[in-house]
Amino acid sequence: MSVAERTVMIVPCSGIGKTYGTVSREAAYEVTEDLRPRSTQLVALSLLVLGDEEARAAVGTHPTITIDGCKLGCAEKMVRESGGEVAEGFAVLDVYRRHRDLKPDGIAELNEGGQQLAHALADEIAAIVDDLASRDEGGHHA
Amino acid sequence: MPDYLETTVDKFIFRVATDRHYSPEGVWALAVGDRIRIGMTDFLQQLNGDVAFAEVKPEGTLLGTGDEVALIETIKTNVGVPSPLGGTVAEVNPAMELSPEAINGDPYGEGWLALIDARDWPTDRDALLDPEAYFELMTGQAQEESKKL
Repeated sequence: MSVAERTVMIVPCSGIGKTYGTVSREAAYEVTEDLRPRSTQLVALSLLVLGDEEARAAVGTHPTITIDGCKLGCAEKMVRESGGEVAEGFAVLDVYRRHRDLKPDGIAELNEGGQQLAHALADEIAAIVDDLASRDEGGHHA
Repeated sequence: MPDYLETTVDKFIFRVATDRHYSPEGVWALAVGDRIRIGMTDFLQQLNGDVAFAEVKPEGTLLGTGDEVALIETIKTNVGVPSPLGGTVAEVNPAMELSPEAINGDPYGEGWLALIDARDWPTDRDALLDPEAYFELMTGQAQEESKKL
């Protein structure tokens, strides 16, 4: 795979009904749909849990960023159990600690703080995507 | 390293250290030299989830038994921690500023909240629960919580 074709996989938390899980998914959507649609691809954690071959192959052959909503770290664990390596692991709680004014609330619909936190997280992820996408297979900058 | 009483409720394992006393609200107290170290129990920290911020009352704060000694913000809620004894805050765990997640990772050790100069520790201690009594109370509380899941 050439550097230009290098796609970064984004695997967010699947915690349904959890505020921090929702923040992780909103950030993943923003990165994959708006900020870096050409260099990223969303992989549903549930597919990895189910052992989906396509999803396993995706994280097994591409640099992968995980976004976890809690300390259980399901996204990071499942990528590793699926044979992939985590190029960068994000935890929503760590991002919130850096942005205490953006307290998230809500589940189906995040409050303003939660939306802004997801946006801040998405910006941090996009920066990592740019770095990963510019590296060759050996991990060196092109 | 203390010994522990341990129980499993649903998929959760809860531990109670056997070397200290407990308030019914889930705050432990342990004599360390001539001061009393306090912190949250394993059950209380698991019940409330990952800690984002811990604000402990500063050194010199006078406390009555039951007064709020710390406010813990977790991913689920804000928890006011009642002091299990009366006295004066002598030292706040510096880890609460930079790595409050120590409460989750090591509630009976690195995750302690504060050291208290006790006003009347023997009396306060006698009003607290011994490990076996707290273990029984906590097990019942955990079983009640599991029914809500």
